[in-house]
Amino acid sequence: MQIALQQLVNGLTVGAFYALIALGYTMVYGIIRLINFAHGDIYAVGAFLGLSLFGLLAVLHVGNPVVETLLALIVSMGATGLLGVLLYRAAYRPLLHARLSILISAIGASLTLEYGLFLIYSPSFLVYPHLFGRAGPSWGSIQVSWLQVLIFASSMVLMGALYLLVHRTKVGMAMRALAINQDAARLMGINVDRVIALTFFLGSVLAAFAGVLTGLYYSQISFLMGFLLGLKAFTAAVLGGIGNIPGAVLGGFLLGVLESLAAGYFSSRWKDVFAFAILIIILVVRPRGLLGERVVERM
Amino acid sequence: MLAVAAVLAAIALPIFGSPYLIDVGTQVLIYVMLGLGLNVVVGYAGLLDLGYAAFFAIGAYTTALLMVRYHAAFWPTLPVAALAAALSGVIIGTPTLRMRSDYLAIVTLGFGEIVRIAATNLSFTGGPEGVYGIPHPKIGAFVLRSPQALYVLGMAFVVLVLAGSYNLARSRLGRAWLAIREDEAAAQAAGIYPVYFKLMAYVLGAVFAGAAGAFFAVKLTAINPSSFTFIQSVTILMVIILGGMGSLPGVILGAAVIVILPEALRAFDQVRMFAFGIGLIVLMLVRPQGLWPSRIGQIERRVVAESEASVAAGVAADAAATTE
Amino acid sequence: MRRVISAIVLLVLFMPFTALGAGAQGAPIKIGVPVPLSGGNAKMGNDISQAATLAVEEWNAKGGVLGRKLEIVAFDDACDAQQSVTAAHKLVDGGVVAVAGGYCSSAAIPASAVYHDAGVAFVADASSNPKLTDQGFENVFRVIGRDDQQGPYAAGFMMNTLKAKKIAIIHDNTLYAKGLADATKAALEGKPGVQVVFFDAVTPGEKDFSAVLTKVKSLSPDVTYYTGYYPEGGLIAKQFKDLGVPGKFMAGDANNDPTFISEAGPASEGVYVTSTPLPQDQSSAKSFIDRYKKRWNQDPGPYSALEYDAVNVVINAIKQSGSTDRAAIIKAITGTKNYQGATGAINFDKKGDRTSVLYITYIIKGGKFVPVGVS
Repeated sequence: MQIALQQLVNGLTVGAFYALIALGYTMVYGIIRLINFAHGDIYAVGAFLGLSLFGLLAVLHVGNPVVETLLALIVSMGATGLLGVLLYRAAYRPLLHARLSILISAIGASLTLEYGLFLIYSPSFLVYPHLFGRAGPSWGSIQVSWLQVLIFASSMVLMGALYLLVHRTKVGMAMRALAINQDAARLMGINVDRVIALTFFLGSVLAAFAGVLTGLYYSQISFLMGFLLGLKAFTAAVLGGIGNIPGAVLGGFLLGVLESLAAGYFSSRWKDVFAFAILIIILVVRPRGLLGERVVERM
Repeated sequence: MLAVAAVLAAIALPIFGSPYLIDVGTQVLIYVMLGLGLNVVVGYAGLLDLGYAAFFAIGAYTTALLMVRYHAAFWPTLPVAALAAALSGVIIGTPTLRMRSDYLAIVTLGFGEIVRIAATNLSFTGGPEGVYGIPHPKIGAFVLRSPQALYVLGMAFVVLVLAGSYNLARSRLGRAWLAIREDEAAAQAAGIYPVYFKLMAYVLGAVFAGAAGAFFAVKLTAINPSSFTFIQSVTILMVIILGGMGSLPGVILGAAVIVILPEALRAFDQVRMFAFGIGLIVLMLVRPQGLWPSRIGQIERRVVAESEASVAAGVAADAAATTE
Repeated sequence: MRRVISAIVLLVLFMPFTALGAGAQGAPIKIGVPVPLSGGNAKMGNDISQAATLAVEEWNAKGGVLGRKLEIVAFDDACDAQQSVTAAHKLVDGGVVAVAGGYCSSAAIPASAVYHDAGVAFVADASSNPKLTDQGFENVFRVIGRDDQQGPYAAGFMMNTLKAKKIAIIHDNTLYAKGLADATKAALEGKPGVQVVFFDAVTPGEKDFSAVLTKVKSLSPDVTYYTGYYPEGGLIAKQFKDLGVPGKFMAGDANNDPTFISEAGPASEGVYVTSTPLPQDQSSAKSFIDRYKKRWNQDPGPYSALEYDAVNVVINAIKQSGSTDRAAIIKAITGTKNYQGATGAINFDKKGDRTSVLYITYIIKGGKFVPVGVS
C-alpha cells in the first residue's frame, strides 16, 4: 500500500510536467491543427535559459534561492514565450494551409532548437544548482519533498489561471472563437494572427516554467530532454482530448500516474513503449480522447 | 548529360577510388535505397512517415540474427528480411492509415521508437550492443569483404530498387497515387480507395527499407539500435525533401549531399543536425519542391504558394480590420 | 535551372576529395584515439583525448620518435558500436600506426574486430569488459583492469567491510554495466547469509528513476550497487536519498568522475565508488597531474593517466621496434616489460590484459573522492 502511494506521488510529480507541456500542444492544435513538434524543445530552451540565469544571478551574488528562482522563472518564461511567437511567425505562419509542408517545417524547427542548444550549451548534459533540499512532509515511509509540493501546487495555479484566461476574458473568447472557425472569427473583427501568436506565447511560457522546475527537481538537463517528453506530453493531450484544456491537464496527470505504476509494478525499461502504446491505442480506438476534442473544423 | 557523368563516376569509383572513398560511396548507395523507399511513402503517396527507420531496423536485424545465430547464408535472408519488413508495414499501416495525416506522422514516430526500444531491451536482439560479428556475404567460395565487392553489391541493390521505383511511378499504382495526391476527394469519387493504395505504398516502402537493412547489416558487420533512431528517420526524410519529393534523380542527389557534406567538411559534421533543421524550414518556405523537382514536387510547391498567399491576405485583413 | 543547381552542388561536394592524398615520408606518425566526444560521456572522452595530446606533445618537444613528429587523430565514437566501427575504418584507412583509447566497452569491442582485421594495435585505456581481451586478438591490449576482477572486489567490500546481507544491483543493460553487475552477482551468490534481493536495469538517458528506486526501497537492502555510467549514476544517487531508500549506495568505476558528485549534490555524501585508483591517489602519477594541469588548466579526468600510459606504451613500442610497421608495433607492445607509467608498472599477460591491477573503494566526503579500502 505504501509503495502504491509512493508511486502515486511519483506519478503526480511527473504528471504535472506532462500536463504543463501538454497544454501548449493542445492549444496550438486546437486552433491551427498543427502538432508543434518543436514544443518539447521550447521546454528544453526554457530549462537552459533558466540555467544561464541562475549562473548570472550567482555571479551577481543575489543569495536568496527563492528570489533567484523567481527571477530565473520570470525571465526564462518571458524570453521563451517570445521565442514561441518567433517560431510561429518564422516557421509556421506562411505554411498554415500546406498540411505536409508545415509538419516538415515543424520537424525542422525541432531539430534547429535541439541542436542549437547542443552547439551553444553542451553536447552532453549540464547540472543545475542544488537550491532546494529534499526536506518535506512525510506520511509513514512515503517521501514527498517541498519541491514536489511546489511543482504540483504551482502547476495547478498556472493551469487554473490559463483556464480563467480562456473562459473569462475577451482574449480567451477570441481564442475559443478561432478554435471553431477562423474565417468567421476574422469576420467578427478578431485579429487572427495576433491570437494565434498569443496562443504560442502562453504555451511556451508554461513549457519554460516546466523546464526550469525540471532543472531544479532532477538536476540534469540535456539538449534532447524535450524530445521524449514532448511526445509523451502530446500523448497526454490526445488522451484527454486534443484542444481541450482540462483534458490536457487530466491527460497529463493520468499518463504520469499510469506510467509510474507500470514502471513500478511491471518494468521500468518498457515505460516509454507503454506511453507510446497508449498513444496508438487512443488514436485508433477513441481519437477524441477522454473529455472530447475541440479542434477547428477545417484548415 | 549530368546523368551520364554520374553513371561514369559511379563506375569509376570502385576502380580508382581509395577504400575510404569507396566506403563513402557505399554509404551514399544505402541512403539512395532508403530514400527511394521513403520516396514511395512520402513522395508518391503523401504519407508523412517519421518512423521509417523501423523498417530499416527490421530488415537489418532479421538478416543479422539469421546469419549470426542460425548461420544462414546472406542470400536466403533477403526474402525473409523483405517479408518481415512487409509484414510490419501491414501491421503498423492497417490501423493507422485511416488517421488524419498529422496523427499518422506522430503514430509512425511512435512505432519507430517502439521498435528501437524493443531492440534495445530484448536480449534476443542483443540489447544495446546489438549484433556484431555478422559474416560477409558469399557467392560460392568468393567472400564479399573488400570495399569494392560491397560497393558492387550495393550498386546491384540500388539498380533493382531504382528500376522498381521507376516502374511503380508509371504503373496503375503510381497513377492512383498521383491522383490521390492531387485531390483525394476526387480520386475517391473516381473509385480509388485511398486506404488500400496508401497501404500498398507503405508496405512497398517497407520492403525497400528492409532490403537496405539487410545490405547494411553485412556491410557494417555490427548493428545496434543507435542506427535506427528518430534522427535516422529524419535523415532519410531530409534526403528526399532536399532532393525533391517523388523525384528519382532528386533522391540520388539528396543522398549524395547528405552523406558527402559531413564527410567533406569536418566543420559541417558538427553542425550537421542544426543545418538539417534550418534547411528543412527554409526549404519548405522557399523551395518545397527540392533541388531536382518532379511533378509531385510541383504539387507541393503549388500548395505552399497558395498557403502563403492566403495567409498573407489573412494577415492583411487582420491588420486592416482590427477592432478590439 | 535544376541541372545548373545540381552541377554546382556536385562540384562543391567533390572538390574537397581532390585534396585527399597519402602521407609523405617525413610526415607525422599518426596514433588514433577513438573516444566519445558527444553524448553523455563527452567529458570523459575529452579528458582522454587531452591526455593523449599531452603525451604526444611531450615527445614532440624532444624531437619526436625515429626522427618524425607524432600526431593524435581523435574521432568521436559517441559510445556507440556503429560509430565506433566507422571511426575505426576511418582511422585505419587514414594511416594510423596504432590506436590507443576508447571508453565504452560496447564501442571498443566491435571496433577491435576492425583493428584486428587490419592488423593495427589497439591499446584500450578504459574499456573494462572481459570480452575485449577474451576474444583472443593478438593486437588488443588494455591498461585498465577487467570487470570480472572489479565485481568480486566490490562483492568482497560489501560483505566484509559493509557487512551487507541484502544487496540490490542496478545496471543499465549496456555491455559494461551488465558485465560488472553479473560479475558482482556471481561473486555474491552462494555466500552464507548473503542475498541479492534486486537485479534489474534502468534505461540510459532516463531522468526519473523513482519507480525503480521505490521498488528497491520496499526490499530494504543494506547496499544498493549501481554499475552504469555517471550521467545516470549521479541522478540515481540523488533520488535514492530523496526517496529515503535505506542502506548504503555504491557505484561502479564509471562513476568516479567529479560530475557524479555535482549531479548528486549533497546526496553524494557517504556514497561508495569502486574504481582503479584515481591519478591523485597514485604516487607515480603526481608529476603527470602537474603537467596535465599546466597544459590544460584543469584537473585530469579519472582515465587521463591511463590514456597517457596507453599512448606512451605505443610510442615506446615504436621506439623499441625502430619502425612504424603496424605488425612490428604489435610485437613490441606484446613484449612490454615493466614499463613505468603514471599508473604504475605495466606488463601485459598472454591475453593482453594488464597484470597486477589494483582496485580500491572511494567514499565521497566533503564533495571529494576519499580512498577507503585497498584490495
